[in-house]
Amino acid sequence: MLGQLIISSLVVGSIYALMALAMSITYKASEVPNFSQGEMAMLSTYVTFVLLSSFGLSFYPAILLTIGFAFLLGLILEFFFLRRAKNPTPLNLIVITIGFQLMLYGIAGWKWGSEQRQINLPFSESKVIVQNDVFALTELNLATLVIAFIVLLVIYLLIQKTKLGLAMKACQQNVNASKMNGISANRIMAISFGISSIVGAIAGVLVAPLLTLDPSMMWDPLLKGFAAAVLGGMKSLHGVVIGGLLLGLVENLFGFYISIEFKSVVAFAIIVLVLYFKPSGLFDKHYVRKV
Amino acid sequence: MNKPTFFELVQLNKSFGGLKAVNQLTFAVKEKEIFSIIGPNGAGKSTIFNCINGLYNPEQGQIKFKGEDLVGKRPDQIAKAGIARTFQNLELFAHMTTLDNILLGRHNSMKASILATVGLSFKRSKAAQEELAHRRKVEEIIDFLELESARDQFVSNLPYGKQKLVELGRALALEPDLLLLDEPAAGLTQEERNDMIFWIRDIRDLLGITVVLIEHNMQMVQNISDRILAINFGTQITVGTPEEVLNHPEVIKAYLGENIPSTH
Amino acid sequence: MRNLKTTYFEDLQLFKDGMHLFWSAALIIALFTLPFFVKTYYLTILNLMAVNVIVALGLNLLVGNTGQISLGHAGFVAIGAYTTVLLLKLGVPFLFAFVAAGLVSALFGILLGIPSLKLEGPYLAIATLAFGLAVTTLIGRMDFLGGRMGMNVPKLQVGWTGLKYDHSLYYIILSVTILAVIAIRNILRSRIGRAFQAIRDSDIAAAAIGIHLTRYKLYSFGLSALFAGAAGSLWALYLGFINPTLFSFILSINFLVIIVLGGLGSITGSIMGAVVLTYLNLQLENVVDIPLLGAALFKFSEVFMTTTGISNVSWVLTGFILILVVLYEPLGLYGLWIRTKIYWKRWPF
Repeated sequence: MLGQLIISSLVVGSIYALMALAMSITYKASEVPNFSQGEMAMLSTYVTFVLLSSFGLSFYPAILLTIGFAFLLGLILEFFFLRRAKNPTPLNLIVITIGFQLMLYGIAGWKWGSEQRQINLPFSESKVIVQNDVFALTELNLATLVIAFIVLLVIYLLIQKTKLGLAMKACQQNVNASKMNGISANRIMAISFGISSIVGAIAGVLVAPLLTLDPSMMWDPLLKGFAAAVLGGMKSLHGVVIGGLLLGLVENLFGFYISIEFKSVVAFAIIVLVLYFKPSGLFDKHYVRKV
Repeated sequence: MNKPTFFELVQLNKSFGGLKAVNQLTFAVKEKEIFSIIGPNGAGKSTIFNCINGLYNPEQGQIKFKGEDLVGKRPDQIAKAGIARTFQNLELFAHMTTLDNILLGRHNSMKASILATVGLSFKRSKAAQEELAHRRKVEEIIDFLELESARDQFVSNLPYGKQKLVELGRALALEPDLLLLDEPAAGLTQEERNDMIFWIRDIRDLLGITVVLIEHNMQMVQNISDRILAINFGTQITVGTPEEVLNHPEVIKAYLGENIPSTH
Repeated sequence: MRNLKTTYFEDLQLFKDGMHLFWSAALIIALFTLPFFVKTYYLTILNLMAVNVIVALGLNLLVGNTGQISLGHAGFVAIGAYTTVLLLKLGVPFLFAFVAAGLVSALFGILLGIPSLKLEGPYLAIATLAFGLAVTTLIGRMDFLGGRMGMNVPKLQVGWTGLKYDHSLYYIILSVTILAVIAIRNILRSRIGRAFQAIRDSDIAAAAIGIHLTRYKLYSFGLSALFAGAAGSLWALYLGFINPTLFSFILSINFLVIIVLGGLGSITGSIMGAVVLTYLNLQLENVVDIPLLGAALFKFSEVFMTTTGISNVSWVLTGFILILVVLYEPLGLYGLWIRTKIYWKRWPF
């Protein structure tokens, strides 16, 4: 049983890790946790659904178009809203993301209603790929793990090995110096939001078969993703991924062995406990302002 | 009976990672003297103030104020002990007025509890009476520093020179025994600097407050200091009267480098 | 000619000048005589607005004045509500139940404040969010609190006043709100309020002038929770029935929207935000009934969206207004109000 638990923990944890990663990318760039992350992912997932069902596209083209849509959505948030804030304090920017979240939620509910829909991924939930004494792995589980891993790898390579990644890191550390070195900080910010939106969208598409597609499907994953990011340390990309996996593990183990009702609360409580000892998360450095 | 030294640092050590910012520093300040600390940039001067103030915790050493060791205490405890300071880059309360900023310096002298302050708008209440009494004290400081015109303005709207005075006023409102000034002349015009020299003298002569200042401006340092401590790389070069220190070869070398003809 | 101040006390007194006193008195008299002129329905709307005002005053103290953040304030409202209902059921007179609600809530506020001392920004946000979640989840599991089904709220014994029940409730809520406004106003103008703002503007300098950061942050959380708990107590009476789903994360967000919309750090802002948002929420509950706009929206929904989902327009609108406020008037409705006043003062220049 434990083996099965660990598998499901990893699957759920990967989703959390993706959401946490999306959160962290934009937080590192803008110092703002993006509360609309979940709704952006949800909307992108609806787009996939519409492309698959109404337009009859096959899976991979639909995903490609969704990725484009997600990127655009991220750009819209940054370019039309966040950038225009007159007084960009952290709280004000958070409020903008909350406003965006409410708008997207409303638009989704308005357009598609609150009935739950089924999205058809080419990965079956019932077809079991690996079966042994310790655990059973469905096609969907495997796909989730693999896709999540690929996304993490791509992001890692992007940040560490490309010029874009270098520019992103530069902007995080010192915006003015970056600008003076020819980097368009605005463009980098917009791209960061776009990329983060794509990561979120992929998480949304992977989660939809598990949770069914309705406007509020991403609330819980967003919250958990946010919590995981905080746990891992919001500015540390590998930290948030570990945070996501850890959260998935803690939540599922607690839920199975002790109480399924309290598992969310306990997960949060543990995070608060960790924060008490490490105020900037497990892997992040705690900066003290110099006077 | 041997009265304890008014203020002294004993073998103070503070490192940041591998960098030793303050190294076995020892000096004493006499009551009611104006004591300046000079040294090139990065010599560790602000670090000293931050240690005294309680913002940093030194690894070793003592900071003795009227006989009591301050190391390990919180900044608010050190303020209550009678030490006030200003900051190199100004730490004003940006969204409040000059009056409120200076009134905050009276915070500790005021005793009204939360419950009592609910009755602030009633003239006879203890909270109101206390507030008015301390307001009068603050007005004295505003008068002393000639800040009347800035009284109801938000400090972020004030010119830099006035902002520095507001921070000074806030520190004075604590009625401290020891005042730490971190580069009081920085960013001021010549006129403002001359005024500042008079004010620091008045603070010592009229208010009886001992002043320790960090300063780069040698004109001010020469003019007002009773004694000067010169440091570099976190340790003492020399300490003494302005004539002694400013002509000390090591001090000159620290600022100007070698092979410079002495001014003597 | 504008009156110039001649005494220090004039900076502290409640009413700036004769005009201010006159209009405030007029407003209060109008509010007190309202039950004799209007239908009970309008009184219940005012009750709801008043409850939101009280929560907003407390939340703004914490967020706008002390610079902290709380995404779980609905938890304090819940604690106030449930404490009150429990005590009323045990036969405790309402006055004691009300005071207890506030104090219990304040206690939890301080408890939440403790882990929050070292946290900032998103870390603090998550901690407060966790709190809000924990409160509703735990209440939902406790049967003596009605569990997930909820509890009925006993009616108050106000027959002795000779007034109708609804009127009595209205007067109670109105009186508490007025007291709350005066209390917050005085606290903010005192050394305590100044200390809160000092923490917001520069906690390093605040400590350097002798403010015990821990203690004052806890005061702020406690006070803020006190107000929320008191409001919860009144809200329970207003609703007649409470269950955990009322006190969701959405409610916490609602409160945050109120203070941002109204104006952070401003008492007038809290009041304006609460009044406007309560009104907006009520109107948007039945979007289609709005003249002209409702019909146009319905037509639009038929073509591009779904008509069943039309109630979601309220989300879109709220979100949009929130964004507009932050983008164009970061000081909120209060900022707009000040700008308007200045414009008319200087008109025609």
